[in-house]
Amino acid sequence: MEVAAAVAPTVRRWLGQCRPLGCEAGLRGTRPLPAGGVSLRLCSTRVTLEGINKPLIERIIRVDHAGEYGANRIYAGQMAVLGRSSVGPIIRQMWNQEKDHLKKFNELMVAYRVRPTVLLPFWNVAGFVLGAGSALLGKKGAMACTVAVEESISDHYNSQIRALMEDPEKYKDLLQLIKQFRDDEREHHDIGLEHDAEAAPAYSVLKIAIQLGCKAAIFLSERI
Amino acid sequence: MAAAGGLRRAGWRLWRGRAVLRCQLSPPQRALRTSAVLRRVSEEQKEPLASSSQQQFDSHPTDPRPEQEPQGPRPSYTGQGGQESEDYESEEQLQHRILTAALEFVPEHGWTAEAIAEGAKTLGLSVAAAGMFHSDGSELVLHFVSQCNTKLSELLEQEQKQVQLGEAEKKPTEQFLRDAVEARLRMLIPYIEKWPQALSILLLPHNIPASLNLLTSMIDDIWHYAGDQSTDFNWYTRRAVLTGVYNTTELVMMQDSSPDFEDTWRFLENRVADAVNMGNTANQVQSTGEAVVQGLMGAAVTIRNLAGLNQRR
Repeated sequence: MEVAAAVAPTVRRWLGQCRPLGCEAGLRGTRPLPAGGVSLRLCSTRVTLEGINKPLIERIIRVDHAGEYGANRIYAGQMAVLGRSSVGPIIRQMWNQEKDHLKKFNELMVAYRVRPTVLLPFWNVAGFVLGAGSALLGKKGAMACTVAVEESISDHYNSQIRALMEDPEKYKDLLQLIKQFRDDEREHHDIGLEHDAEAAPAYSVLKIAIQLGCKAAIFLSERI
Repeated sequence: MAAAGGLRRAGWRLWRGRAVLRCQLSPPQRALRTSAVLRRVSEEQKEPLASSSQQQFDSHPTDPRPEQEPQGPRPSYTGQGGQESEDYESEEQLQHRILTAALEFVPEHGWTAEAIAEGAKTLGLSVAAAGMFHSDGSELVLHFVSQCNTKLSELLEQEQKQVQLGEAEKKPTEQFLRDAVEARLRMLIPYIEKWPQALSILLLPHNIPASLNLLTSMIDDIWHYAGDQSTDFNWYTRRAVLTGVYNTTELVMMQDSSPDFEDTWRFLENRVADAVNMGNTANQVQSTGEAVVQGLMGAAVTIRNLAGLNQRR
């Protein structure tokens, strides 16, 4: 099959993220990775989908994925402006944590076969613009944006935890994950406050506006 | 004594004729009638009975045997119904059986109520059982499509198992997509004469939600087994492209008269190759764009340096 052999490399490049799927065992059943350059994911990526409230889980994963993606872009925007200032290292550290969160949600998305929100390209641009825009207001402006966003996200995670607590045993792993992420976001929120977010220009107006935007984003990402 | 015997006979006659009765009655009446029959049977047998899942008849013991009736009598075309339990089956399972039996009459009668009626006849039911369904044959087509999708899923699942066990080699994505679409389209071959009619039925406004649902879940299944793990907008573009490939190939198949539909499979091969190329080109455009932007940034920084404007504030 020379045609297949010729096409295979181009296909692999195009389908960059395509990896062979693994076995059907639960999420915990992993197999050792084969040695070699290409990381063929032979470990299981599927969870048992019976017995869970599929629509609820789909919404949760979709909106959380969109949220982490947006947060990622916000920090990227802030770094673009304030990367070389004194708050640069702090923003970079928070950004790295968000990257971890995003990676985790990417994995969950594949495991539960959830579709991402259609608005991802939009959140891509909007997040970056928000981050860069708030950073242009100065370091305190960037911190104010962080405080507003992280507060929104923690409240949102809390309501998801409340929803999942209806059946804590069934959703044990997911609950643990969201609780941990919620704690991380709260930490970011506190870091923002420590760095004089409240002294930012028009702090209350900024905060209300950003939180309104976050609420709208959450509403849309859950559905679309 | 004679009265009890008469009641028993009447009870069993009603019991056997329940399928025909059911189509005439509305669901609550149906349930009432069924529970009344069963109550009569149970009184004669004097057995303690388990309560059923029908809440409104909680006070009446209903089924002498343990039942596993699935909730909700409405037929769903996004999945196959529940299990059969001894002698007592739900309406959904009955409809399922009638539609499956009706499929063999489709080449002759088309996707119509006549085919459904013939199917009901082979099951020993009255022709009036076809009255359970719409007169335009919608349910028959949707049932068939749903069945084909399930078969395709099972086929892909089996192939995946074989690859994991090392019995087969993993196919490159292009070939995988080609084989999956071909396997799915081959299921249409026995009904190919009447398939244009089926397509037109699927496009009726009241069928569009269900048929769209079936189509999207099938395409999602194919990509899932092909190993797609994208979590960005690629998720949508890949599925949109494959849907286009599938639909156009289906249309070509309608008009294909070559032996074993060779022309269709060649068309499919070309379309999948185009799709792969398109993705490849998109990647190249993106990397070219990035390179150009970097070049411009470099030029801007150089000019800034030359003009002496590069001062850290």
